[in-house]
Amino acid sequence: MNNPSVTFPPPVASTDSAAARATNVSKIYGHDDSEVRALDNVTVQFEKGKFTAIMGPSGSGKSTLMHCMAGLDEMTEGSATIAGIDIASLKDKDLTKLRRDKIGFVFQAFNLVPTLTADENIRLPLLLGNNKGNEEWIQKVINTVHLQDRLSHRPSELSGGQQQRVAVARALASEPAIIFADEPTGNLDSTTGNEILSFMRKAVDELGQTIVMVTHDPVSASYADRIVFLKDGKIAGELLEPTPELVLDYMKQLGH
Amino acid sequence: MWRIALKGIFGRKARLVLTSLAVILGTAFLSGTAVFSATLNQTFDNLFSDVFRNVDSYVRSTQVIEADFGQQERQRIPVELVDVVKQVPGVADVQADIQAFARIIGKDGKPLGSEGKGPPTFGGVGQKFKGALWSISKGHFAAGPTEVVLDEASVKAGKFALNDTVKVVAQSGSREFTLVGIASYGDVRSPGGATFALFDLATAQEFLAKPGFIDNILVSGDGSLSDVDLAKAITAAIPGTFKTETLTGAQITKETQDEIGTALSFFGILLSVFSYIALGVGSFVIYNVFSISAAQRQRENALLRAIGASKKQVTRAMLIESVVVGLFGSTVGLIAGIGLSKVLSALLKAASIDLPSGGLVVPRSAILNTIVIGLIVTVASAWLPARRAGKVPPLAAMRETAIEFVALSRRRTIFGLFLIALGAVSIVAVTNGASKTLLGFGILFFFSGTITLGPVIARPVALLLGKPAEKFRGVTGTMARQNSARNPKRTSRTAAPVLIGVALVTAVAALAASISSQIDGVFTQQFKGDYAISTTARGFGGLSPSLADDINVMPQVQRATGIGRLTVKIDDKGQFLTTINPATVEGVFDIGLISGSYADLTADTIFVSQKYANNHATKLGDTIQVTLADAQIKTLKIAGIYIYDELAGKYTVSRDLIKDSSVISFDLGVYIKLKPGVSDKSARSELQAAVDKYGQGTLLSKREYIDSQSGSINTLLGLIYGLLFLSVIIAVVGIIITLLLSVFERQREIGLLRAVGMTKAQVRTTVRWESVITSLIGAVVGIVLGVGLGWVIVYALRDQGLSSFSVPVGSTVSILIMAFIIGVLAAVYPAWRATRVNLLDAITTA
Repeated sequence: MNNPSVTFPPPVASTDSAAARATNVSKIYGHDDSEVRALDNVTVQFEKGKFTAIMGPSGSGKSTLMHCMAGLDEMTEGSATIAGIDIASLKDKDLTKLRRDKIGFVFQAFNLVPTLTADENIRLPLLLGNNKGNEEWIQKVINTVHLQDRLSHRPSELSGGQQQRVAVARALASEPAIIFADEPTGNLDSTTGNEILSFMRKAVDELGQTIVMVTHDPVSASYADRIVFLKDGKIAGELLEPTPELVLDYMKQLGH
Repeated sequence: MWRIALKGIFGRKARLVLTSLAVILGTAFLSGTAVFSATLNQTFDNLFSDVFRNVDSYVRSTQVIEADFGQQERQRIPVELVDVVKQVPGVADVQADIQAFARIIGKDGKPLGSEGKGPPTFGGVGQKFKGALWSISKGHFAAGPTEVVLDEASVKAGKFALNDTVKVVAQSGSREFTLVGIASYGDVRSPGGATFALFDLATAQEFLAKPGFIDNILVSGDGSLSDVDLAKAITAAIPGTFKTETLTGAQITKETQDEIGTALSFFGILLSVFSYIALGVGSFVIYNVFSISAAQRQRENALLRAIGASKKQVTRAMLIESVVVGLFGSTVGLIAGIGLSKVLSALLKAASIDLPSGGLVVPRSAILNTIVIGLIVTVASAWLPARRAGKVPPLAAMRETAIEFVALSRRRTIFGLFLIALGAVSIVAVTNGASKTLLGFGILFFFSGTITLGPVIARPVALLLGKPAEKFRGVTGTMARQNSARNPKRTSRTAAPVLIGVALVTAVAALAASISSQIDGVFTQQFKGDYAISTTARGFGGLSPSLADDINVMPQVQRATGIGRLTVKIDDKGQFLTTINPATVEGVFDIGLISGSYADLTADTIFVSQKYANNHATKLGDTIQVTLADAQIKTLKIAGIYIYDELAGKYTVSRDLIKDSSVISFDLGVYIKLKPGVSDKSARSELQAAVDKYGQGTLLSKREYIDSQSGSINTLLGLIYGLLFLSVIIAVVGIIITLLLSVFERQREIGLLRAVGMTKAQVRTTVRWESVITSLIGAVVGIVLGVGLGWVIVYALRDQGLSSFSVPVGSTVSILIMAFIIGVLAAVYPAWRATRVNLLDAITTA
């Protein structure tokens, strides 16, 4: 059952400059009159080695986009690829293995398995795949998020910030093609939140990772290389090299 | 509060069903066994009122010997009384009746009916009689020494046709008859699955009993007298010296019904004891479910408290829920139990016990009992969780997830250890001579101490037993191990029903193993021959004494001797005597004679055991007065003393003792020693041929025989295991419910794991191993307790001659394997449910 050698379609992945892309993706809830278009024909790509933020008011579809692209939710129309792999064609088992091996996740809350130690939580995707992983890399990740002396603790013995650091480390541990973070600082105070965002920034700059983060906070978003704005399920615009002020201005322009 | 409680119940139907399931199962066994017993009773009542419907009077001897185990032997009466009764005015017709052992040998040479285990195989008198139970459906009644009539079922089973030759085995040996008639009875082929071979009166006396004697006389009146007056007239007509009594038809019907009722009530009590054990086990499950459900509703209850509900109101709401669950569960359980009783009847039918068709009897007491007990058990089990629910601080409403209080108080540890210490002290006190009733308390203390300590030991034990899972299953094993240890109270409550079931099974197995090894030792010591012929018929029938005589004169055989048993009265109490043949017993079967010689054992002497001699201060030459079943009084001189009394008991006599009486005796075993140099193979086939001639008994080598004797306990064991199976089912359901509730509680965790890459198969593995670990906790602790309990029981039975204690290694291993399988099976549905957890719901609800 723990078969680490998953056979994915041919590795067109390496030639694709995008870590993940969505093409004409729509997500529709309900039928006919009660139909709600959470995503409406969205096409977007996330480049390798970049930190991208997805912003938008609540209900704009930013989380839905992330869920669909990460294979957590099914899209109604369109296609999405992770590292060149078309996720719509994958069965649950292969999709699960894709999430395990190619995607890292950081959620807003309840990120860790309470019965496992910090170390086990960090290695969880690797352990699930019966995969030893790259020990040198893992140590590097652990050092980056400063968790060396917390490894044997269980989540209940860690502070909120420490827990999120463990979550970030877990997302990085398997050297995934892309990391999706859903409001990773939403439950933290601003100091701790900034610390986490700095780690994520470092992961991109120093470790060459690709991160996509959903947020509604301009300050958080300003850590990214690029911001994609969503409104009513559609791409409403983009901003490169953002600062908090630029983000706020842009949001005003969008009528937020 | 009623409205909130009821809304809470019906708002979550799944939980209602789960909670009720334990109640339903517990009460279903209760009502099922009650209905089954009542129906069985009614069936037999009807059967016997049919049997004696046309019998107005019933004449029999007043001389009865009652021995241990409820065995009864009534003296026979002389056949000439038939004519005396026939002359009494008011008597229209009479039948001399004999009820004796007779085994029909089927056409294929195999005896009909199962030896000893199944319904009895009767031989009797078949003649034209107004009050007859039988009617001839084909052919005619037997007349003369070569004719026989069989019941319809036996004809079918033996594949006979009219005029076929039928071999029948009785006490006097085996004989061939011509089948001249087929008898049928009412709407069943044969009552209760018994087989009947019917002869004419003279043949029946000579072949089945003793010439000149019958068992009783059935009388049919001409209607001129009432039954009571007829019985009086008959009593008056028979001289008092015959020591007879005359019962009316109603009296004998009632007496037989009562006898059967007593026999069945033992069975009924056994059934209900085990159904109460099952209910007790079920109460743990109910308690567990209410506790978990209270924990999961902690936020809800805290909210109620925060907006102004009092502690009492929260507690009451939960108790109201338990009342609803109790009523609902007991009612469904009652109905399910009626179905269950049908299943039991069907099982009996499958075991070829053909009962006359009778309606289902659902006594009002069973209905009331089931509902009331079900309700009480449910509400009592919910009491503590309900009180705990009331104690939830209003602040808990703000907490993120439901957490069960896991604080392990030192008080609990101390109290648990105290109870165990108390148990140990009681048991030690008994080994030092205190009253044995303390043993029961000791066991109770041990059990309650262990259960009290459960939450304390559950975590370390779970972690220990989970080690292999972690080793072989990687991170899924780690999670299973941690999950089974994360909530020790819940784990221990889930494991408790398994523990109780396993402890009882282990104790019974330990007892059986001890008895087996004891029997093995005794036979190895006493049986000096090479072969034995055994019969499982106990109390009714056995081996004809002439079998041993036939084999004794075979050229390959040095010696063959038969050992039998006789019921007599000594000092007005029923006693068993062992009968031996003094001429052949020596060197084949050793009773450890320490004084006297076998040559001294005649029709006028007796041997006693050393224990008896010591207890009664008797010595050689003293006399013992023995009353035989035919009321003959014999004064026997003690001619020898022996030490091996495990099989022979207190008294051993020569089989010649009953030569001149109407009493007959069977051998229960024939023991054979071959001549030196005779090859086993050739001897065995010759011996087998001799046994086949009688169609009775099984030829076994020494080893086979000893194994079969020491294995004889297994039948009883099977029955007890079967009954304990009820408790096991409830324990399994308990695990299923707990796992389901845990899975429900851990939805977010499972969702997270699925998101970061746990496959469905891995989710199932995690749940499965948690289940296995929980089940094994119950099994391992249960085995430890059970072995202890077994030792205590064996110790208590020391006076009954049980001297050695054996640990049932084989059973213990199979229990562990069973517990493993139970864990795997119980996890199937919860594991499947766990894979159905909605991933998005789990990770997005903040």
